[in-house]
Amino acid sequence: MAHKVHGHFTRRALLKASAALPLVGIAMPNVLAQPMSKSPTKVLDFETNADVAKAEQEGQLVFYCHENEAGTAGIMQGFNKDFPKIKTSYVRAQTGALYSKILAERQAGRFDVDVIQLSDLAPAFDFQKKGGYEHYVSPESGAYKKDNLSSPNGYFFWTGVDPAGIAYNSDKVAAADAPKGWHDILNPRWKGKISCKISASGLQFVQWYMLRKLYGAGFWKEFAKQQPHAFDSRVQLYDRLAKADDTITAIGEYPAYILFKSRGAKVEFVAPPDGLVATPLAVGAVNKAPHPEAAKLFVDWAMSKRGQAWYQTNPNLYYASVRTDAPPMPTGVSLSQFKLLYPSDWDEYSKESPAFLKEWNGMLGL
Amino acid sequence: MSVAGASAGRVSPQAIAGYGVAAVAAVLVLYPVFYLLQAAFDVGDPQIRPPTSYGVDNFEALFNYPQIMLNTLVVSVAATVMALVIGFVMAWILARTNVPGRRAFEQLMVVPYYLTPLLGALAWSMLGSPESGFINQVWRALGATGSLMDINTPYGIAWVMALFEGSVAFVMIAAVMKSMDPSLEEASQVIGASRLRTMLRITLPLVVPGVLGAAVFVFAEMLGSFAVALVLGTPNRYYVITTAIYQLIQQYPPRVQVAAAMGVSLFAVMFLMLFVYRRIITAGSYATITGKAFRPRVADVGRLRYVLFGLCMLYLTVAVFLPIATLLYASVQKIAVAFPAADNFTLNNFTAAMSMNAVRSALTNSLILGFATATIGVVLMGLLAWLIYRSKLPGSGLIEYVVMFPQAVPRLVFAFGMMWAWLVFPILIYGTMWLLLIAYLTVFLPLGVRTIAGVMLQIDKSLEECAQMCGASWAYRTRTVSVPLLVPGLLAAWLLLFIASVRELGASILLMGPHSKVITPSIVESWFGTASELTATLALIQTMVVAAAMIVMMMVTRRLGALPVD
Repeated sequence: MAHKVHGHFTRRALLKASAALPLVGIAMPNVLAQPMSKSPTKVLDFETNADVAKAEQEGQLVFYCHENEAGTAGIMQGFNKDFPKIKTSYVRAQTGALYSKILAERQAGRFDVDVIQLSDLAPAFDFQKKGGYEHYVSPESGAYKKDNLSSPNGYFFWTGVDPAGIAYNSDKVAAADAPKGWHDILNPRWKGKISCKISASGLQFVQWYMLRKLYGAGFWKEFAKQQPHAFDSRVQLYDRLAKADDTITAIGEYPAYILFKSRGAKVEFVAPPDGLVATPLAVGAVNKAPHPEAAKLFVDWAMSKRGQAWYQTNPNLYYASVRTDAPPMPTGVSLSQFKLLYPSDWDEYSKESPAFLKEWNGMLGL
Repeated sequence: MSVAGASAGRVSPQAIAGYGVAAVAAVLVLYPVFYLLQAAFDVGDPQIRPPTSYGVDNFEALFNYPQIMLNTLVVSVAATVMALVIGFVMAWILARTNVPGRRAFEQLMVVPYYLTPLLGALAWSMLGSPESGFINQVWRALGATGSLMDINTPYGIAWVMALFEGSVAFVMIAAVMKSMDPSLEEASQVIGASRLRTMLRITLPLVVPGVLGAAVFVFAEMLGSFAVALVLGTPNRYYVITTAIYQLIQQYPPRVQVAAAMGVSLFAVMFLMLFVYRRIITAGSYATITGKAFRPRVADVGRLRYVLFGLCMLYLTVAVFLPIATLLYASVQKIAVAFPAADNFTLNNFTAAMSMNAVRSALTNSLILGFATATIGVVLMGLLAWLIYRSKLPGSGLIEYVVMFPQAVPRLVFAFGMMWAWLVFPILIYGTMWLLLIAYLTVFLPLGVRTIAGVMLQIDKSLEECAQMCGASWAYRTRTVSVPLLVPGLLAAWLLLFIASVRELGASILLMGPHSKVITPSIVESWFGTASELTATLALIQTMVVAAAMIVMMMVTRRLGALPVD
């Protein structure tokens, strides 16, 4: 299985990004102040441009994250284990609410956060346009493909991807009757017994966008007839699947599949031949951060093999690493074995957001 | 000095206290309301503040959601009716009859309220979901097909809401019933009226302020109820205003302006209800605590008392024992199912819950905030209740409408107003525990004022006037006459505020900072992000800690209540 499409930035998007920099009173990223010539320091088994002693003197790291409570706490626990002198704290909320919060804070002149992680690239691009990220080129960037870094490099990177296929309850569905490809989720036998995610989900947006591109706008109109139950998180989808409240889920995330399989749940995962839909998770240091060295150190740690191993093996995360030298996931499967579907033009993808929200909320009766 | 001495050309302590507390309430409420209204009329770029253009588009957009409005109305009305029936019947049984175990039941009646609707919703979801619900699993194991009950319906949602808000209605109505002179009921029975007729013709009309206050309060709670509708409604695609608002503000880009317009529109409904409430209570006299002494007595209902005992037990079983037992059972399983299996047993959920640092600090923060909110709140809200219902200060009626605003707007939305307001406030409050304290004092103004006012309305003004005629100053007669008579109401309000703060969800979700986490949002987070078994464990731990805190508080307040008044 091979990658199918990779994202890239258009020239127009870059021009727009630079034109929009002064918006909402957010300062220009401090590109020139970057100590470009400084050679990186080795700490533990990774390299960093941060001043580790200063970071420890700052003593704190404030993290805003879209991930659920357990996952967010897990990320902080991993960093804190390696840097016990840096006390970690976090705020978590769904990407929409989190992004509103950080924008409101910055417009009011409050700069409390050091690093932000978002589950959707659309707000990440917007934040970059608004000059919200600190420009910091990590020495660990070399282990990432260009497509998995912001353009230009140094604003945010893909700390992992969250691939999703179809999952079903194996007590209720025989393997022979299980869906094989994306079109099978439209089978009327799943009507009222199928689940999906709410419109706040970045992954759901990607799935809507990619399957519409592949199969046409009629695909989701047919799906609406299935009267799907929609939920906030991947865990809820699998929790209901494990208890047979739903028979199949149209967006079964692989990380949650690993988690529930390890708990002994009767769930199975299907990778449709056309590919798994996937969403990148964007991490970047925020400018005017109260603990700038700690923020840089965190970015380097998160990008490093060490940090990526933590993200990839923590049961509440199980993110698939996009590092070129990433080890296989806990199931022994490597990300490269999956064919992944994600937008080739993120700018066009971002513009489709209103159409997605309208169709998806309408389908769910909102 | 009926108009606070203003006419005499000098400002009395009464006027200073009255207007001072009114100013505090106005700042707490109107300051965020300004930002909320600003958002509701903002039709510019939602990410730019202050707004670049204004209009009514957000209100027009509400017409796109008729089904959600209807759903909200159906659930709120059904739940309010059920809660009032539960509250009134239980209050009558425990305040006016000689049902066995009356005192114990009275203590237990407050338990459903601090169990939180969230806990109830989680438990009833495990019990009554059509496929995985324990009751339905047992039903099918007995050879039946399909499901015996489906909790994911509008009436299922209303049922769970009513079970837990019924406790609030009970507290508010019982406080009034307890303060009622029993000689009125006795007189009715002496002249030949039956117990039922006495209850309907004497008891019920006398508790009208309490019932109406409870009705207005409970209905508003139902309109703003979030946790139950989220847990039980969304699986069945049944959205009410709060869950719709939640979706609108979570998505990217969030539609905060439409959410604000939805919230502001609810105020119109509450304004109308408050207007009706005021008209009713000002039309009649409900004072039953007068200068004439009486001893609270209960009616002997004969053998009926065992039936009433059964009713009390039934209520506590479905509202307390069954939900707790369900969560306890789920918390020791890997995947919660009705029938036990050795390989499904685990204690890992407790290990995991106890190892979560965020949860430990969140619990501590919640208890500190609960204590602070209740203590400051009783003073502030007691003074406000006095200002509104007793002071005769010009403009005091207007304050009631101001105070009711937070009740009318779902807290999820009101929290946005508070976030914007306190973000730009020159003193560093945003992101600290102080913000949550301010938020709780604001959103619980209606709860505290309503509870204290229910009792205050029953105290005949002649008692204060008598002290005034004897030459007592306002401060002296407040301390020696009004406050001692209000002690039961104040203690009830303290406990309600404490519990309400510890279980608060809607406002906390948005206003928590990295160093000011509280417990209930953490439980909801767990429901979203971990598993229902771990969530059940967290909810149980919260309940146990709050129960321990409540027992300590009740022991202290009982001592305080027993102190002689000089």
